[in-house]
Amino acid sequence: MKAKIISIPVQDQEKALRFYTEVLGFLKKVDIPLGEGNRWLTVVSKEDQDGAELLLEPSPLHFEPAKVYQNALFDAGIPYTQFNVDNVQQEYDRLTAKGVEFSVQPTAMGTVKVAVFNDTCGNNIQIVEML
Amino acid sequence: MTFYQQEINRIKELCYSNERHLDAVIKTRNYINSNIDKEVNLVLLSNIGFASKFHLLRLFKRYYGQTPQKYLTERRIEKSKEHLKNGMSVTETCFSVGFESPESFSTLFRSRVGQSPLQFQKEQFSQGELKRVC
Repeated sequence: MKAKIISIPVQDQEKALRFYTEVLGFLKKVDIPLGEGNRWLTVVSKEDQDGAELLLEPSPLHFEPAKVYQNALFDAGIPYTQFNVDNVQQEYDRLTAKGVEFSVQPTAMGTVKVAVFNDTCGNNIQIVEML
Repeated sequence: MTFYQQEINRIKELCYSNERHLDAVIKTRNYINSNIDKEVNLVLLSNIGFASKFHLLRLFKRYYGQTPQKYLTERRIEKSKEHLKNGMSVTETCFSVGFESPESFSTLFRSRVGQSPLQFQKEQFSQGELKRVC
């Protein structure tokens, strides 16, 4: 058994695809139409194209509890998931220059440094650097 | 301040308030990262981290969730995958990430990655070829 998919709920798949590729720098990997405008849509890290795929799934649009859960996490500032980066401060600088909003500025917390940004699709996402 | 920001502050205070411990484990990890091609043992690390062997072992596990040896092995496997993807031979890769023999490297690699270093490398190249064709 292998873990290959990380699911991220998004409110608009096309908007999410643009954000995750054009702003964050992921690459589109799989895009399969599933009817009624829904897609099996995954992106991968440019540096690890055979690694885990992020599944941008429209669950908040079709399943009310998913929407409630996503909103509750977002309102509490809790990240839905996190991505590893080599340098949080550099990523923070790169993304803020592109207009990305951060709810947690780069913060050292023991053996990690973290920051949290808004993915514009309903989620807070944390970036983390191991110190 | 959001709930999550409050949690960050709470956990910082609760788990990461000992600067001396943090300094020791962070220095140790940095040393491992810069020396994955060399022999790294607990005695050497205890000198780097300014702590006794067993204290350092406990601290590293406490702050990184795994022993220094396990961390080192993971870094070596990760680095070896990069070298193999870049076309380095299996033997050269083995020594460049600090393994003493290609046999022990291949055995460990297979147990972690699920295929031998050579199989892994061949698969990378065939996937690369496929991407170029498509």
